[in-house]
Amino acid sequence: MRDFSSRPRRRAARPVDLALLAAGTAAFLLSAYATTSAWNGRQRARARVEETRRESEAVQARVRELDARREPAQAIAYQALLTAEASPPRVLADLVALMPGDVRLDAVNMSYGEPLGLRVDVVARTASSYDLFLDRLQRSPLFADVLPGEENREGELRTSIQMTYRPL
Amino acid sequence: MRRSRPRLFVALDAGSVSGGAGARSGGGFRLASHARVPLGAGALAPSPFAPNVVRPGEVAEALRELARSLRIGPAPVCLLLPDGIARLALLDVPADVTPQQYARFRIVPALPYPAEEAVIEVLPLGPGRAVVAAVRRSVIEGYEAVAEQAGLAQDRLDLTPLAALSGLLREPGDAGGLTVDVILGDAAFCLAAHQDGVLRALRNRRRDPGPDEPPRLAEEIQRTSVLAGDGAGPRVRVVGAGAGDLLASWRATGAAAEPGWRSESAGAGVEASELAWLGGATD
Repeated sequence: MRDFSSRPRRRAARPVDLALLAAGTAAFLLSAYATTSAWNGRQRARARVEETRRESEAVQARVRELDARREPAQAIAYQALLTAEASPPRVLADLVALMPGDVRLDAVNMSYGEPLGLRVDVVARTASSYDLFLDRLQRSPLFADVLPGEENREGELRTSIQMTYRPL
Repeated sequence: MRRSRPRLFVALDAGSVSGGAGARSGGGFRLASHARVPLGAGALAPSPFAPNVVRPGEVAEALRELARSLRIGPAPVCLLLPDGIARLALLDVPADVTPQQYARFRIVPALPYPAEEAVIEVLPLGPGRAVVAAVRRSVIEGYEAVAEQAGLAQDRLDLTPLAALSGLLREPGDAGGLTVDVILGDAAFCLAAHQDGVLRALRNRRRDPGPDEPPRLAEEIQRTSVLAGDGAGPRVRVVGAGAGDLLASWRATGAAAEPGWRSESAGAGVEASELAWLGGATD
């Protein structure tokens, strides 16, 4: 009901007000019980998370240990092979071949390792051309592990994409 | 029309304070009590910006006399403020905002006072439509202060034109034809054109009383019906102070119009159509 009063008015409690108060009190008690239960649940969940974190750290330590045992020469040879078969102009040419006309590259970063990692900053005039580019990347046998970054869709679409290159 | 319990109303306007207990009933409005106390010229001047209660002592005394006549005592009353103090607008409200929020976007920036001083209320008209009213907080506070000074216990506070419009739209009249309702205040009047229960136009104007006012109001009605999309002889209803005189004047010239509502029975000494605030009894 309309009320233009400049400040709330005190009024005598009506039966419906008392009923609402009783319902509110019951709801408060119920929510207090639910809060206590939730708190206990949270403590149990935190303990489980802590246990999982410890297990994860142990596994990572084991992985680092195994990595350290690998022959350095093997990694160097692989990198040399990758560089020969995946020279920057060739990677770039393969990438550009998949790009629709209204998508452009702002930056390209190649990490020659095992595998060859790529990070490209992309600007697309429309979201649909960007989606087409992503689709082509994901279908291409040359690129794998395609991971689109956060998109800025105000005006031109700007984003970055991480992927790996697999020379055929 | 379904029956409702009588509620206490106290209405303030430039020429008088009036009030009573009224309820809607089968054949119209049932007035359990009614009183009116005239005010001296200039004691109360409805305005959207300036302080309205020019002579608070005089207005408070009139309210006290009204309260004694009606034996109000400590009972809470609905205060009704006059036409001429609010910015009224009929809005089509988008689905993702409330009418109040949309009024703050559409109306408040154009008000000649700071946005935070605007008190906004709404008469909902169904999905996506509402009449919104913005009143300056300091104007409201002036009325609240004089009511408190007179010892009245304020329940809620409404605008007479909105209360009247609410009551009139509950009885929209015959299907198919356009109806133009005239809601008279002492300082301003509203014209509301509706068809099949849908409000099509709402206009709010200052009054300019005089012998030529009835024909000018008739012209305004014609403009309103054209604005509402139908200029061919709408049904016209009138409520508010002076409704009887206006209807008589129009009848003398052959124009057809009728009271917006009627008393269920005689006895209160006043025609229900003279009391625009009675529409609040339907809320």
